Amino acid sequence: MTRTSPSGERASPARPYLLVAPLLVVLLVFVVAPLAFVVAVSFFHYDNFAIIPAFSFENYADVLTAHLTYDLYLTMIWFSLLTWFFTLIIGFTVAYFLVFHVRNPLIAIGLFLVCTVPFWTSNVIRMISWLPLLGKQGLINSALLATGAIRQPLQFLLFSDFSVVVSYVHLFTIFMIVPIFNSMSRIDRTLFEAAADAGSSRWQTLLHVVVPLCKSGIALGSIFVVTLVMGDFYVVKVMSGGSRASIVSAMYDDISTLLFPHAAANAVILMIIVVIMVSLILRVVDVRKELASQR
Amino acid sequence: MLTAAGRRPWTFYALAAFFALYVAFLYGPMICIFVLSFQGPQGALVFPMRGVSLHWFAELVTQTETGDILGAISRSIPLAIIVMAATVAVSVAGGLAFRDRFRGGAALFYGVIVSLVAPGYVLGIGIGLMFQLLGLPAHWYSSALGAQLTWTLPFGLLIMFAVFGRFNRSYEEAARDLGAGAGQILRLVVIPIVLPGIIAVALFGFTLSYDEFARTLQTSGSTNTLPLEIWSMTTNVTSPVIYALGTVTTAFSFIVIGVALSAIALIQRRRYGRALPAGRH
Amino acid sequence: MAQRRKNSARIGGADANTAISRRNLLRAAAAAVGAAAGSQVIGAPTIWAQEIKDIELRHVGVSYSVVKAIGDQASKDLGFKVTMQNLDTSAAITRFITQPQTVDIPDLEGWQTKVAVARGILQGIEVKRIKEFDNILPIFTKGEYEGKKVSRQGISPYEAMYIEKKDSTKIVEGVHDWMTFLPQVYNADSIGYRPDIVGHPVTRWKDLIDPNYKGRSAILDVPNIGIMDAALALESRGDLVYKNKGNMTRQEIDTTINALIALKKQGQFRATWTTFEQSVELMASGEVVIQSMWSPAVTAVLAKGIPCIYAPVNEQPDGKEGYRGWCNGMGLMRHLSGKKLEAAYEYLNWYYAGWQGGFVARHGYYSPVPKTAEKFMTANEYGYWYLGKPAADVIKDPYGAAIAKAGAVRDGGSFIERFTNIACWNTVMDENQYMIQRWNEFKSA
Repeated sequence: MTRTSPSGERASPARPYLLVAPLLVVLLVFVVAPLAFVVAVSFFHYDNFAIIPAFSFENYADVLTAHLTYDLYLTMIWFSLLTWFFTLIIGFTVAYFLVFHVRNPLIAIGLFLVCTVPFWTSNVIRMISWLPLLGKQGLINSALLATGAIRQPLQFLLFSDFSVVVSYVHLFTIFMIVPIFNSMSRIDRTLFEAAADAGSSRWQTLLHVVVPLCKSGIALGSIFVVTLVMGDFYVVKVMSGGSRASIVSAMYDDISTLLFPHAAANAVILMIIVVIMVSLILRVVDVRKELASQR
Repeated sequence: MLTAAGRRPWTFYALAAFFALYVAFLYGPMICIFVLSFQGPQGALVFPMRGVSLHWFAELVTQTETGDILGAISRSIPLAIIVMAATVAVSVAGGLAFRDRFRGGAALFYGVIVSLVAPGYVLGIGIGLMFQLLGLPAHWYSSALGAQLTWTLPFGLLIMFAVFGRFNRSYEEAARDLGAGAGQILRLVVIPIVLPGIIAVALFGFTLSYDEFARTLQTSGSTNTLPLEIWSMTTNVTSPVIYALGTVTTAFSFIVIGVALSAIALIQRRRYGRALPAGRH
Repeated sequence: MAQRRKNSARIGGADANTAISRRNLLRAAAAAVGAAAGSQVIGAPTIWAQEIKDIELRHVGVSYSVVKAIGDQASKDLGFKVTMQNLDTSAAITRFITQPQTVDIPDLEGWQTKVAVARGILQGIEVKRIKEFDNILPIFTKGEYEGKKVSRQGISPYEAMYIEKKDSTKIVEGVHDWMTFLPQVYNADSIGYRPDIVGHPVTRWKDLIDPNYKGRSAILDVPNIGIMDAALALESRGDLVYKNKGNMTRQEIDTTINALIALKKQGQFRATWTTFEQSVELMASGEVVIQSMWSPAVTAVLAKGIPCIYAPVNEQPDGKEGYRGWCNGMGLMRHLSGKKLEAAYEYLNWYYAGWQGGFVARHGYYSPVPKTAEKFMTANEYGYWYLGKPAADVIKDPYGAAIAKAGAVRDGGSFIERFTNIACWNTVMDENQYMIQRWNEFKSA
């Protein structure tokens, strides 16, 4: 039986350390240790299929001075921005609908689950199935041709930047919906009444009440989406029809021919850049501070 | 969001239509999968349909032409369940811990971010290499499990951070004042309040694990999980059997959801009589 | 470990060595019986069967050579378990190098064998113990066929095949007593095209980049293979002559990639395909009419009732054209020993005994030991697939769908014609890192 002081101080000072112990173990064993290897290998020397331990910056020099690197990062950042934008708009709207317009919580959960069911069919299968949907002989083109809206099948639907972004939005909107849904459902409904009483229009309430209160959900969703897009390798490969390369697919090509040091350097640089991107998002909305400010 | 008369505002219909469009977008590929899974033996992965039969569903079970899908599923599902449970446990614990500042908290937080951001394929190679050097065999239930946790834990933790960020600790204080022990507080106060968050984390944990590819590719040992199996099938003739799999999975999911929701509705009706609980919390 | 001791005890307490020589005696007797009944390893003596029934061989590789059906049949015929695990080429070689203990029989391409040997993860395969060694096509074992030497551009299987001793890490030239890998599945790749749309028979690589097919052609998105297809096309068009298409200089790489980028900007390519299925669908749906293709993809398109020909691009007197050859083979990981090693040799010999040959032939792949494969195919099939004769009857694919009518001739003539016309072999070149970088520039152009 733990009795506490009237100020409500937590009883055991060791408690947080115990609680994070499993997390720490997983991180140390499965993230820190392997990444230590990766960082070490990034300094190694490569010669004719053999990897020679060394301490050389040649791989980093190669990656940072290649024009290709900047092209690839620009491409992926562009894709990230587009995906972020669309997933945010769609995710926010869907979450708003589910939280505030569906009266029965059971139906809301049901509708939400309906949105998650496609994710239990493997990603690879769903990516393959874009072909019968978007291809020249696919459902969409056939439907448009049948209704006479177009004369020739639309080429850009598949194997283009369009299809890459569509695929990303399709796969990642759920990662926006969930955190925003979570944030929104904690909003006190009486705030709407208060705002209405103060003379706010629905739109103003949205902008000045709902959105600020969903900040952490939006921030989280953004972090998820950006990370997912920057780290992707097979969506770009498959959906662009090879007309685009991504950072990780370039890494994959290196690894396929055992150019481990070069790929490792690429990986380290990618991690640094994405951590910076995530930090920027966290600077706008400090999830940690919001959390720890609750005492 | 109701007018005084209790009728829905026009925004309801607009938003409902938008939602319907989103669902249609989500299910577009699923429809193709569904229709094409009923093709005959000459079936391809695209339209036009060739024949109508249950051939590919039979193929899913007998596996004469394909890789080992059933075997892969028999690993993917238990793995996803274990990852889901572990993710929930560790995320909730982590979320509780991070409510208070403790030494090393910032470093740990950034460790979690790094875990999220690390390129999966490269991390997977690192983990596999580490197991090899330690002389440990790689298996889906050891190395792949750990690798997948590095992916799901950041998602779970960050969500729990956001959930606990809105959590009012005075509930806990009140319970303590009434004489509840730490365990009781956790079970009877904290968890019921953050339950929606926990469900979200569980959902993410399961789905992320089931679909996980990059980190699992080099850590699954001598047997494949489902995404690995399907991916390697794409280097060769790929038959509509994967569509049959998609259809079966979707049908199964709908049945499970339908049953679960009906069960909940029945329980609620019994508990509250005809009236359903108002509001959400 | 404990099992080995247990089994020795069962054979009257003799130590392992005696057990093995006794087993060999019994096996020789059984082999005599087996040879009389056919080339299959049947009627293994019960003691051997007892010892090995708990063994599991893990065969890991790409899904077009490491096929579950083959593993199941092997398990049935041999009495121990053979499990197949499929990975894509890149993941497979990475696994072999970083986690060698998790694999028993690796599936390797020619250039991958070179790397694997240098890294010391393989053990030599003793030539003496391979029953059908002399029946393996000399293209692989001797680098020649009927006097004509096989091309040495790229890394030919012959070039990567021999080592001096069981644990050598250097590959040597010339036939020796130890092999690095046993050729398993191989082919000579060229271009696939729609004869009904293209309108004329394609025999030259330059048609791939012909502006007539602008927006309707494709090449594949594997850098070290795609670059060779491109090189063959450019050489055919007359742009330049390569010293070694399989090992280009930086200048040659630049010329090739710049030409590709120019073609891409002109809209020549509809796509660079990534997955096998993409290549099939691109052709079957009419999105492309001519593209780099693999043989089973052509078969798959034909099975859909759509005409598709695998172009015969035999070498011309001026040195142009020719096929791009590749060969996958089985190796033995270094950690195999004792009974597992014995079982592995059983498996390797079973592989050459014919059943596998018959099975893959219907995909359009050849067995390196045609003699034994012939026993498992009908005369009609053998004539069509291997000899280039017109089919006497309908030819079916492995699953029963008809792909060729009576009278049809397999593209490219007989397989000997295809294989003596190989211009270059799949490889990884010295300037690989530079090439990949430039390839990705082509992709992001």
